[in-house]
Amino acid sequence: MESRPPFPYKGPEALRQAIGDALTRVVDPEVAMTIVDVGLIYGVTVTDEKLHVLLTMTSAACPVTDLIVEEVETELDRVTPPELLIEVELVWEPPWSTDRMSERAKRFMGW
Amino acid sequence: MVHRSNERARQALHGLVNPSGPRLTSQRRGAPSWAAVVVRLLLLAVVALSLLAGIAGGLLRLGVALPATTHAAWLGHAALAHAALMICGFLGTVIGIERAVAVKLRAAFLAPLASGLSGLCLLLGQAQAGAWLGVAAAVAFTAVNVVVVQRQRAAHTLLLLVGALAWLIGNLLFALGLDGVAILPWWFAFLVMTIAAERLEMTRLMRRRPAAQWSLYAVLSALLLGAACSAVAPAAGGVLYGTALAALALWLGIFDITRRTVFSHGLSRYMAVCLLGGYGWLAVAGAAWAATALGLAARDLALHALGLGFIVSMMMGHAPVILPAIARVKLQFGAFFYVPLAALHLSLILRLGFGLLDPPLRAAGATFNAVAIALFAATIAGAAVAWHINDDPPGTTQPGKAT
Repeated sequence: MESRPPFPYKGPEALRQAIGDALTRVVDPEVAMTIVDVGLIYGVTVTDEKLHVLLTMTSAACPVTDLIVEEVETELDRVTPPELLIEVELVWEPPWSTDRMSERAKRFMGW
Repeated sequence: MVHRSNERARQALHGLVNPSGPRLTSQRRGAPSWAAVVVRLLLLAVVALSLLAGIAGGLLRLGVALPATTHAAWLGHAALAHAALMICGFLGTVIGIERAVAVKLRAAFLAPLASGLSGLCLLLGQAQAGAWLGVAAAVAFTAVNVVVVQRQRAAHTLLLLVGALAWLIGNLLFALGLDGVAILPWWFAFLVMTIAAERLEMTRLMRRRPAAQWSLYAVLSALLLGAACSAVAPAAGGVLYGTALAALALWLGIFDITRRTVFSHGLSRYMAVCLLGGYGWLAVAGAAWAATALGLAARDLALHALGLGFIVSMMMGHAPVILPAIARVKLQFGAFFYVPLAALHLSLILRLGFGLLDPPLRAAGATFNAVAIALFAATIAGAAVAWHINDDPPGTTQPGKAT
């Protein structure tokens, strides 16, 4: 398995792998890749009370943003302690770019 | 598409935050308000009404009428307003809902509400009211797209805005009483540019070849120029418009990510197959559009290779990810989705290929087009039931689309 997560992570080491795996289960079927491979996760911070995910979308005209957010929450909910609040924050800055794509994603897209 | 049933075991903060300003919304998910439910039901009703009446009207035009409706007044109105019902009442409303959901502004739902009610007015024989409601819908939709551009100034969002303006021009021409030769190129430009913008956005995932962006701009400029010329110089305008459609099919064949995603699996492959099939019909539509402009009897081929072959095929591909987003219906994807897709394409071959010179075959093909769409509706209903039965099967998740 490719080493993960390819996004900034601050928090307990014990949760790092589980959170990376959870986010990798959220797939964008249109591009046949996970949101982690596309590079939509800008960072994850875990404190004693809260798990905070910073993510973006490639288009502001995308109607399924809420579904993605919901799916991220659902996947994280399965692997994190129940007392931890989950907050997913959608941002448009900095804009997504292809530099954020994983090597696997670039290979798949013929780079 | 989401295949999850378990509700969150705890409260989530779930904040959606605007990058340049204060928090836009910080909502806790719960039961929708009564107003939201009423708006949703109303939108669902007008979308279904436009689709069903538009199909019935289209069949009547080819001499196929549903027995129980032969003498209904609305059917005559539906036959007259077939294109307006399908493009504005149905597709325009669905796209308006999509964009309203994306921008998360209540006022944005005025656009699909107006276009949906426009379809209702057309069916009731209130042609002028329907046409001007269509103009109001396009004005509101254009404003929504300005909001999208303000949030993300990018090539694809600007193209979406241009597509909205094309719809506005088409609706104005319709309200002013111009004929289909002038109106239809603008209406189809709205749909084609909306799809092209979304595909351009996807091409960013591939190594961008320098020609990709400027060649698409050239093709879409030709499309708009062809639409503009169609009212005053139908032959030249139609040839240019048709050539641009065919060139767009070529562009999509060269640059679109479906060339990659068709080698994936499951829903991703299905979506790619829908799109690739559509690109083939887009090329056919372009050639037929130009041929029609030159006086050949290929109008049905041009309009329905484009409207059904390209646009409805693309919609069939995206419905499994868009419907959960706009209708909050969860669906289970399966190979059975290929059945209505195959039915659509085979019925188009019958109608537009064998039926080109044989009106009864064309009418039979059109009837099967309608059956294919009904089959797709049944497939969606079946997929919703399958999701509830197969609650959360491990290893089959194909979660949301992130674009």
